[in-house]
Amino acid sequence: MTATTTAEEQQPAPGGSDKPAKARRREMTETTLGRVFVSPAILLMALVALFPVIYAFVISLQAYTGRLNEGFAGVDNYVTALTNERFWTSLQFTLIFTVASVAAEFIIGLGFALLMNQAFRGRGLTRAAILVPWVIPTVIAAQMWFFMFNVTPGFINSLFGLGDFNWLGQSGWAAFTIIFADVWKTAPFVALLLLAGLQTIPGDVYEGARVDGAKMFQRFWYITMPLLKPAILVALLFRTVEALRVYDLPQVMTGGAFDTESLSILVQQYVVRTPDPGLGSALSTITFALILGIGLIFVNLLGKDLVIGEGESK
Amino acid sequence: MSTPTPTAAHQRSEGKANKSRKKKGDQGVVEQKSAAQVWGKSAMLGIILLWCLFPFFWLIMTSLKKGNNALNSPNIFEGPFGLQNYEAVFAQDFHLNLRNSLAIAGITTILCIVVGSFAAYALARLPLKRKILLLGGVLAVSLFPPVALVPPLYELWRTLGLLNTWEGLYIPYTSFTLPLTIFILTTFFASIPKDLEEAARVDGASPFKAFYKIILPLAAPGVFAAAIIIFVSAWNEFLLASTFAPRNPEIAQTVPVAIAAFTGAVQFQRPVGTITAACVVVTIPMIIVALLFQKRIVSGLTAGSVKG
Repeated sequence: MTATTTAEEQQPAPGGSDKPAKARRREMTETTLGRVFVSPAILLMALVALFPVIYAFVISLQAYTGRLNEGFAGVDNYVTALTNERFWTSLQFTLIFTVASVAAEFIIGLGFALLMNQAFRGRGLTRAAILVPWVIPTVIAAQMWFFMFNVTPGFINSLFGLGDFNWLGQSGWAAFTIIFADVWKTAPFVALLLLAGLQTIPGDVYEGARVDGAKMFQRFWYITMPLLKPAILVALLFRTVEALRVYDLPQVMTGGAFDTESLSILVQQYVVRTPDPGLGSALSTITFALILGIGLIFVNLLGKDLVIGEGESK
Repeated sequence: MSTPTPTAAHQRSEGKANKSRKKKGDQGVVEQKSAAQVWGKSAMLGIILLWCLFPFFWLIMTSLKKGNNALNSPNIFEGPFGLQNYEAVFAQDFHLNLRNSLAIAGITTILCIVVGSFAAYALARLPLKRKILLLGGVLAVSLFPPVALVPPLYELWRTLGLLNTWEGLYIPYTSFTLPLTIFILTTFFASIPKDLEEAARVDGASPFKAFYKIILPLAAPGVFAAAIIIFVSAWNEFLLASTFAPRNPEIAQTVPVAIAAFTGAVQFQRPVGTITAACVVVTIPMIIVALLFQKRIVSGLTAGSVKG
């Protein structure tokens, strides 16, 4: 703000008397400049994000033995993918993981945000600490929680007196452990997003409600929640789309064993370990359509508000 | 605040609460608070601190344990302690992994900032047709699951000889982080008052000059915030890194891949001490960066998602 005012003072703006012709010429150059400025980004995203997705679709219609192309195969790969039980198991895990972790992160994140918005002492410290789980690489978080839950050294078990309970070695609990690690890492991030939303709510709104006799819960439900809705939806959108991509945590913590194989792990398997570009691409195309579809449903819920709001806050 | 409270203790605590509220510029609920309430709420913050920091404390303590102690004893305060595990980490070429990750994340950051700030400036300021469509497209790309790129890019990289190279990683990282970069920077550019450029332009500066002489310096804090966020996400990436450069620290294997790969070193037991030591080596500098630039990072993270 200070920089702004001094700069303005240094450059006294002469009364705006632009000639129309000059303005038109300037507009031309500005439009050209705009195109020049945007094109590298568009080109890069088209080449490295859009083109591969189309290319994957092309590959998915080919038959392969190992890496050897055996010609056109129609929708065979899709039939193989969709009739494979592993696909449905991994889809099931991915969806359970997404619903459970996003729900838990939202509730805990909202709790954290409300606390941080109210407390006065130690707020700066908390706000700094909340970035720690965010900045830690997911692979490290995965290793860390693996060892804390693992039978050796058995930190969690000894803390709660659970003996040799095998968290990571049985289905159900393995999924729980992975979800737990994800919630630990991302709930603080959700809190950060929601806290930013909370701080845009002016205090006098609450003041008025209190004068009218609204109880604490009523104020939360009828004032905070509706006003926080845009921030909540944005947080849910990004978290859901990211949870559907989950790869690092199950890959490191269980390697996909005990019904914890996610869609991303399944696709990756057909790329390196048991190469089949056709089937791998079919699975990746299905995953792509699924995740983009869910993402777009969210964007529709948010309406154009999101896109415009992010682009031009004029 | 309106009804005065009878006891002196109450008044004192209210005064305190008001003072600290003023100091921190709080906009939250304005309410009378007893001393117990104020401290109670601060104690609740302790839960958040414990949640965020305790696992990291466990990590440090475990990494300092000597020999088999890290594997056998769940008690984090039980010694003997030493730096043995840290020596083991660097005996395994971990410094090469650090070099690869630094280079790949660094190049990604530079590319993203250069390409992204041009695009963001155009979107925030210049007259462009179909701006909404462009932003919608950028948003759609940000929803792309990276795994959708793994099979096709693997085939492409194999043909082009880009597997196990830095390029094979920072090129996709750049295109994947660009949407976020554009969102953050567009918000920052749009928040800079328009009169400044107008004044510069009236004085005869070209649009390009107005961009890099006026806007870019003013947007520097935003650009810096975006740079940290890009760096962190490129540094932490695992899926593409483990697929395109799974081995060979001397070429392109990154830090997360190395840390995950310690798994296979021993058949039945993961080497707890070495892994936790490597984790601490990586995490400490990142935590320091996060704490130093806390405010900038938070403004960057929330700029992309919450309307000011």
